Amino acid sequence: MFWTLLFSLVLATFFYFAFGNLTDRLESFNPIGVAVVDNRAYRNDARLRQVLASLSQPGKGQLLELAEVSEEQAKSLLDTGDVAGVVKVNEKIELVVRQSGIEESILKAILDEYVFMSRTVMRVLANNPAAVREITDRKSYTEQISFSNANPDTMLGFFYALMAMACMYSSFWGLRNTIDVQADLSARGARRSVAPTHKLTVVLADALAALSVSFAEVLILLVYMAFVLRIDFGNQVGYIVLTCLAGCVAGVSFGSLVGTFVRGSGSVKTAVLIGLNMTMSFLAGLMWAPIKDLVSRKVPPLSYVNPAALISDAFYSLYIFGSHPRFFINIGLLFMLSALMCTASFMKLRRTRYASV
Amino acid sequence: MQVFKAYFKVMRGSAVSIAINLGVFIGLAVMFSFIAPETMGRAFEAVKAPVAVVNRDREGALAQGIAEYLSQTHRVVDYPDDPEKLQDALFYRNVEYIVIIPEGFSERFMSESRSVIQKVVVPGSTSSHYVDMSIDRFLNTARLHRRLGGIDDQAELVAATMADLTPDIPVSVILADEVGQEERPGYAYYFAYCAYALLAMVMTGVSSVMMAFNRPDIHLRNACGPLPKRRMSLELAAGHGLFALGCWVLLMLIALILHGKNLAPWQLAALYFLNTLVFAAVCVGLGLLIGKFVKGEGSQAGAVNVIALGMSFLGGIFVPQSIMSKSVLSVARLLPSYWFIRANDEIWLLSRFSVDTMRPIYGSIMIQAAFAAGLFLIALLFLSKERRGPHP
Repeated sequence: MFWTLLFSLVLATFFYFAFGNLTDRLESFNPIGVAVVDNRAYRNDARLRQVLASLSQPGKGQLLELAEVSEEQAKSLLDTGDVAGVVKVNEKIELVVRQSGIEESILKAILDEYVFMSRTVMRVLANNPAAVREITDRKSYTEQISFSNANPDTMLGFFYALMAMACMYSSFWGLRNTIDVQADLSARGARRSVAPTHKLTVVLADALAALSVSFAEVLILLVYMAFVLRIDFGNQVGYIVLTCLAGCVAGVSFGSLVGTFVRGSGSVKTAVLIGLNMTMSFLAGLMWAPIKDLVSRKVPPLSYVNPAALISDAFYSLYIFGSHPRFFINIGLLFMLSALMCTASFMKLRRTRYASV
Repeated sequence: MQVFKAYFKVMRGSAVSIAINLGVFIGLAVMFSFIAPETMGRAFEAVKAPVAVVNRDREGALAQGIAEYLSQTHRVVDYPDDPEKLQDALFYRNVEYIVIIPEGFSERFMSESRSVIQKVVVPGSTSSHYVDMSIDRFLNTARLHRRLGGIDDQAELVAATMADLTPDIPVSVILADEVGQEERPGYAYYFAYCAYALLAMVMTGVSSVMMAFNRPDIHLRNACGPLPKRRMSLELAAGHGLFALGCWVLLMLIALILHGKNLAPWQLAALYFLNTLVFAAVCVGLGLLIGKFVKGEGSQAGAVNVIALGMSFLGGIFVPQSIMSKSVLSVARLLPSYWFIRANDEIWLLSRFSVDTMRPIYGSIMIQAAFAAGLFLIALLFLSKERRGPHP
């Protein structure tokens, strides 16, 4: 028990170091560095100079970080990566960049727009010379709304998948329970088979013990992730804990199912369980978060029967949508799957009779 | 040969989990080979941001014009007008910008009353600025034509705006030529993920066998058997070597099937093969240690998982090193996977094969070899110590 808990904690820490703040660093907008070759053509182009200067005005709308330099300096700035592109004005405007990235594309869009505007200006002014004011007045036509108050940080998907994996680790307890009640697998099972206690009592007591231990483990992991690593789970504590509980119930039931239906020795069962857990966690986004979404769009039934995906989707929908029907569908499905798995494995166990040897 | 034979008997027990690891890996590899961008040409191409357009103003010609313009300048992904699905798409970055054109937008724009397009974005992201620019550019141009050109018909307005925005005299963009492409090509992704597959498969196999041979009763029985210790260790080592080599050959075969045609010239393929082979040796070393220290199958699975995933995420296998923070990278240097990816990335950046350009690659490979040697030494040290220890 100690080890599985420790591993989850260590993995959460690794995740945190590998991509805590990654979304922010990768996607946040910072003014784009651009060097302009300060030649005569540029100095004579008052409108371009004005446009570039206004775009590099410090403040909220700042798009550019402008450097007006000589051609050699511009080249060295580009080589060191201090600027994304170099603008050169001759008869035409030229942009020199190192790669086809989004910053470079924005630079090109700005310059294109300058060229387009010049053309519109020429057309419009030919008919209406008094319109200069109108032209320089540029409006913003977009208004930000949101479907959710939560920040859509993809990296959270990895942490939710990790929680799902931790919940599914409860299946090792479930598996152990089934080995402990089957007479052909363990000495303990043999002893218990001849004991007068009803099988259901034995199985239920074992299941409750497994559940409480694994639930405690998952809660420790949750506390560590939420309070030490500061991973955002939203603020509905009750529902978050409910998800952990549903996840552990599903984990224990899944372990029992594998324990009763997979034939072979204890170690074969364990190997199968490890493999299945890994596959389910993979499909829930443990190695690559977007795969959960991909599966739910392309092969929806698969995401309804994969407990790991249901657990991580429950955390996700709770974080993004709050107590939305989707959350309850996830939790409901988890409990339903658990009930099915438990019933199936109990039916199988109940019928088992051993020859006396 | 008894030990060697027993080796593969034990291995059969963990065949299931090795096969599943291989399955997961092949799934990942095939998927990423399709997702990874094709090798970029030497010409500049403007980035197209993935955008979802929800047009609630279906009748308006102007609204249709905006949608049309966005589909030319960006990559429009088809999504239904369902907040839940759209939010999922934004979270997983299937789209980075959701444009909602409200009902009656075209009418309001034409009558010059307040008209805005709603957007759902990743707050403060670069792509949101990028798409904003396209929308504002279109509508500002349209406004000028409307007010100053006196165009009253929506379709005509769209046509005039489009004509202004068609890039027939574009700004010419030049790629500075000494810089290679910045995006990993598909095959480089494949070899990067190979590291994960090797870690998971080789560590599982080697540690399972070692755990079996290290079980106290088995260990003691073997110790008093007639087979010399050296002979036993040699046969075990041969087993490990053959097993790791088998995993490696399998992965390289898949590499040739999936990416064979892109792996030219042959030196490129050879370097990748060498790099992964040395890394496979590192995995054997790690497997030996896990087999030594871990008791029980549950914790073995956990240990393999944590080491494989931890090395993958911190070494830059799943998340490229170029976007990891400096402080994490400086710690990651202590991991062999970091050097594996360094070499992997340097190989695809190679434009020519000469002693000078290959030196850093060989350097990174040598460091991995040193890691492997170190791990073997530690494992040997613990093994010999135990043998000298008192019998229980």
